[in-house]
Amino acid sequence: MTAAPTGTRTHPPRVTAARDLAAAAVLVAVLAVLPWTEWGNLRLLFTTLIWTTCSIAWNLVGGYAGQVSFGFAVFYGIGAYTAAVLITEAHVNPYLAFAGAALAAAAASLLVGIPTFRLRGPYFAIATIGVNEAVRVVMNNMEAVGAASGYRVNEMVGGQRAPFVMAEHYLSMVVIFAVALLVSILVARSRFGLALTAIRDDEDAAADIGINAFQHKLAAHALAAALVGAAGGAYARYAAFIDPGGVFNFNNSVSILLMPVIGGLATVWGPIIGGAVYGIVQEELVARFSQIHLGLYGTLLILAILFEPGGVVGLMRRVWRALAGRRLQGGPVPARGVKA
Amino acid sequence: MGVIDVLNLLVASLLLAGIYTTMSIGMTIIYGVMKIINLAHAGFMMLGAYFVYEVFNRLGVHPILGALLAFPVFFLLGMAVHWLLVRWLPVSDQPTLPSLLLLFGLWLVLQNVGYAAWGNLDRSIYTDMTLATVRLGPLTLSVVQLVVFTVAVISVVLLQFMLTRTWFGRAVRALTQNPFAGQLVGIDTARMSRLSFGLGIAFAGLAGALLASLYSFDPDFGRPFLLRSFVIIVLGGLESFTGVALGALILALVETFSVQFVPAGYQMAISFSLLVVALLVLPGGVASLIERRGRTT
Repeated sequence: MTAAPTGTRTHPPRVTAARDLAAAAVLVAVLAVLPWTEWGNLRLLFTTLIWTTCSIAWNLVGGYAGQVSFGFAVFYGIGAYTAAVLITEAHVNPYLAFAGAALAAAAASLLVGIPTFRLRGPYFAIATIGVNEAVRVVMNNMEAVGAASGYRVNEMVGGQRAPFVMAEHYLSMVVIFAVALLVSILVARSRFGLALTAIRDDEDAAADIGINAFQHKLAAHALAAALVGAAGGAYARYAAFIDPGGVFNFNNSVSILLMPVIGGLATVWGPIIGGAVYGIVQEELVARFSQIHLGLYGTLLILAILFEPGGVVGLMRRVWRALAGRRLQGGPVPARGVKA
Repeated sequence: MGVIDVLNLLVASLLLAGIYTTMSIGMTIIYGVMKIINLAHAGFMMLGAYFVYEVFNRLGVHPILGALLAFPVFFLLGMAVHWLLVRWLPVSDQPTLPSLLLLFGLWLVLQNVGYAAWGNLDRSIYTDMTLATVRLGPLTLSVVQLVVFTVAVISVVLLQFMLTRTWFGRAVRALTQNPFAGQLVGIDTARMSRLSFGLGIAFAGLAGALLASLYSFDPDFGRPFLLRSFVIIVLGGLESFTGVALGALILALVETFSVQFVPAGYQMAISFSLLVVALLVLPGGVASLIERRGRTT
């Protein structure tokens, strides 16, 4: 993947990290307060946060490390099923179940990653398509969890079905989102993140300076899978019914990939912008025109690749540079198609 | 399982391998010349199927004739798509992620066109041929499968002929082997990419059109076949045109015989696992294995 132009960095990394953390704290605080106000459609925000969390997670692997995966629905689905089974069969506290979902997804990511990360770039991408479809087919036939007809999540509190509290579902998702955001900021400004970027730009050169590409990719993949798995677990508890055609759907993998690409790869805020736009547009569009969103996202993807590989964030930077061009010294802007 | 059963399965695999070869060879051409993995392949196969459906229903053209018609139409369509989108991609001697994502976006758009134009109901093409069979000694063969197989084999043989006997074919093979040396001897890469992209899409359209006579289809029609094409070209070694036929035969054999041992529900999982396994243990494909054997002995 062509790297998103980093633009002119006018502050040292530590300052940027502090600024990002402050912005993240404000965003999470606003989101957390919303249930006590009259604003905000909690259901819409809940699904948007799920998508955004997945988007942030995918960006760790696809953006920073440059390993495009078409298989993130696997982790979403495994998280959803793990949480569902833990809550229904073992009566585990839902929050522990989310942690279990994250662990299960991370374990699955190792199973997927150890063979597939021996492949590079597009071959890895193709292999993940195969993994996604294979896992979905297997889950479609797994009788223990209802096979293709799905699995009903039954949360019991003191011998009765737990009541549905939207605010609680929403707040649990805010917490997962906050963790994802924190992880993303830390990775972006850490040695680990730099190593991932080095692997993306030139894997052989990265190996030459002593970065174990395989281990770094596996670690990023596991981190991302854990976040996606927790989001899947929160979804399973909220929806109270999951089926392989829903959570393991290839379209979920596609959506998870589209959001960060459209928002801006390898940036902290790009996946969040992409996820927010996607979540809101998805809910509004799907209600009205059932299949038009595929074409819309396809077109956005094509336009992004041809005109602005940096996504929305890249576009904003470009506009900002044009506006501030006279006051700030512009840094070198990589030409289109040139590896930055 | 008696001898007759095994024989029947072998023939079924062979017939399947024919159409699988046609389906995957378009991907190999595009990969060979441009080093682009055409994820939109599935979308063009789907359009090919609907093309035949439309000319059959509206104009009464026989589906097999319709499939032959699809070839030139999709050739032009492919060149148009290349002119509009693909030529802007950065040139590279290995697959790049922008190219993967661009063609993936195109697939989504094509799929959406399919849903907008034909809805999500399954369609199928039914002619006198569909259920007809011929008996050949102990074997029973479906007429439509035989005809599809024949068309598929002829198309691949013609392609092979073109690749080995014409200037265009030599240029394609030269660029596949070494794009820089190809440029040095005066091959117009831009023109060759346009032509080979058109040719690749033409084969996708033809394969989709032929498959429409065998299976029912909807706008998501190409996806399982796209994955099969991956398996086949990976088994074939990505750049080898003869390897594709071998890969197609292997996949067809695995699919046909696995039904005997594995529940039908898991059958797809086998093909997809084969993809991952093939990518890992046979990065050069089956053809390279034979080549290596030939070289060492």
